[in-house]
Amino acid sequence: MKIIRISTLPGYEEWKDNAKSCLLDYIPPSSIAWKDINEPQDELFAGIKSKKTPPSSPHKPVLKVPKSFVELAQTACCHKDPERFSLLYKVFWRINFENRKLLSQSLDDDIILLNKMIKEVRRDSYKITAFLRFRETLYEGKEHYVAWYEPFHYTLERALPFFTKRFRNMNWSILTPYRAAHWDGENVLLQDNPDPSQVPDEDRIEKYWLTYYAGIFNPARVKKSAMLAQMPKKYWNNLPEAKLIPDLLHNSEAKAREMIDKIKA
Amino acid sequence: MQDKIETKLEILADAAKYDASCASGSAGKRSAGKGEKGIGSLTGGSGICHSFTPDGRCVSLLKILMTNYCIYDCHYCINRISSNVRRARFTVQEVVDLTINFYKRNYIEGLFLSSGIIKDPDYTMESMVKIAKSLRVDHHFKGYIHLKTIPNASPELQEEAGLYADRLSINIEMPTQKGLNTFAPEKNISDITGSMGRLRNKISEHKTSKTHTGKRLPRFAPGGQSTQMIVGADASDDKTILNSSVDLYQTHKLRRVYYSAFSPIPDASLILPLKPAPLIREHRLYQADWLLRFYDFSLDEILQGTKNNMLDMDHDPKLAWALRNRHLFPIDINKADKKLLLRIPGLGALTVQKIIKARKYCNLSWSDLTKMRVPLGKVKPFITASDYRPPAYLLDMESLGNQLKNTEQLDLFGRAV
Ligand code: SF4
Repeated sequence: MKIIRISTLPGYEEWKDNAKSCLLDYIPPSSIAWKDINEPQDELFAGIKSKKTPPSSPHKPVLKVPKSFVELAQTACCHKDPERFSLLYKVFWRINFENRKLLSQSLDDDIILLNKMIKEVRRDSYKITAFLRFRETLYEGKEHYVAWYEPFHYTLERALPFFTKRFRNMNWSILTPYRAAHWDGENVLLQDNPDPSQVPDEDRIEKYWLTYYAGIFNPARVKKSAMLAQMPKKYWNNLPEAKLIPDLLHNSEAKAREMIDKIKA
Repeated sequence: MQDKIETKLEILADAAKYDASCASGSAGKRSAGKGEKGIGSLTGGSGICHSFTPDGRCVSLLKILMTNYCIYDCHYCINRISSNVRRARFTVQEVVDLTINFYKRNYIEGLFLSSGIIKDPDYTMESMVKIAKSLRVDHHFKGYIHLKTIPNASPELQEEAGLYADRLSINIEMPTQKGLNTFAPEKNISDITGSMGRLRNKISEHKTSKTHTGKRLPRFAPGGQSTQMIVGADASDDKTILNSSVDLYQTHKLRRVYYSAFSPIPDASLILPLKPAPLIREHRLYQADWLLRFYDFSLDEILQGTKNNMLDMDHDPKLAWALRNRHLFPIDINKADKKLLLRIPGLGALTVQKIIKARKYCNLSWSDLTKMRVPLGKVKPFITASDYRPPAYLLDMESLGNQLKNTEQLDLFGRAV
């Protein structure tokens, strides 16, 4: 069994180099154990690092994948499931040796899994554009907007084009548990393992947002499950308004009754 | 202690929350280019939901009234002159600042502004236009702006609004003039549709024409117009309501008609019903509206065989139609064309797409449908697959309608699939 440990995040480039050389050596998916950075390093195999295996087979397979596979693989690599690399290798293998059109077989079990991962990553990349909240601060005398955000997958990089477009003329920093991105109006600077204490605890406008959020809620129409479907609790840490939800729900009945009483009066 | 802005925000957000049209419509894509001033972008599609309130609704825009003072006396409205609610009024600058500040923190996609009528319609409309203009011209704001135009404001002001707003709307409120006479005596349906007609012409003129020097005309409400109808305050049946929607879509090219189930308001006028209209009715109207616009159903088909021209409350309109037309089923999912697939209860547009793609490679079986997460209980009587035929008695059963009562799957937009 060959063990390959991908030590970067999300890991696409590193996976790709390794996958290519493994395929060129005809190493079948069942003979490789792919590990990601978060898996405990096995003592026995400590020291074995991922590296390009020198090509050894005389008959080189032609490495060809449909264009769309690259984008799909990049996306799937952002998933936090450590199984992503072995699944991708299996699909990569099957495209080359079994069926060129595998990707369009939407009912194939591997493709179902792959599509599910991709869907989850896309959703998570969308949620970061929705749920991230900036706080204003001063940095070197200039307005600077800072956010702490905990994505569910490794989706910071995927979301950056949205932020550089929308907030092009602002200086901002987005900090996530694994990486931060800093924008100065022209360039993005990435930094690993940022320090969350750099994020301000307060913002002068946030109280208005909370007032607004509480104000537009209609206590007579509570639909908690509809809210949770779109805004699962795992995202609440990112949302200043989420701390209001328990009270809003708790008071909603009384509020609704008060409204009805007023109507009857 | 609340500051002044907090108090105003509390009153004027509360006053706006009964408006159903919350989502931002699609107005194409845009953002500040390199070296360009300004903030904001439109990502195409219907805008991002930045939060959800415990009532399950999407928070996408800063949706407020400029003021809830009003000189009119529409009975269904909490802000009418004869109601004694707390009143407040934002200044132009306050709304502009709030919008920009919210936007910079990534709370919102933009502004949805409506207003009660202060002094007169023109005065009110002028202030609203000032807000939109300041956002666009002073701040180079590229986010979304929806203005609810004031009925009876001058055509010039409505046109100016279109230069800054992505979407304009004007509430039709009631499907008939009779309804308006009773509940909104100052409003006139031909004024409202007249203004819709003028804006429709402007919108298409700006989309297609060029100036004599060959330049494109400036953007004019690229997201089109929408409107809202209150359901269940007057006696109009669903047929009357949907008829007027069809007319609004066809004649005035509206992007969207919103339905809002009447709900009693505090300090209500005596001529209003005491009970709220059932939410399910609002919901069924949205579903029927959806079938009309995207599923190639005609109004006659939707209403065929219904009682008293009211939609069936027990089943979504597509299922109700299928139950009335059982002779057309079962439909073979491996052969039927798209139009026919869309008629199968339980299959939404997305699933239909998936089916058409997947069946190119193999004959679809029952277990393939499971993999596609088709609601099997609901489609069961209506389809055949490579290894499946519904037992003949299923479609003949009187009780089929009852059995299918609770199979409805709802997504957020109230579309039945
Ligand atoms: S004009 Fe508008 S705000 Fe004024 S009473 Fe009528 S519906 Fe309410």
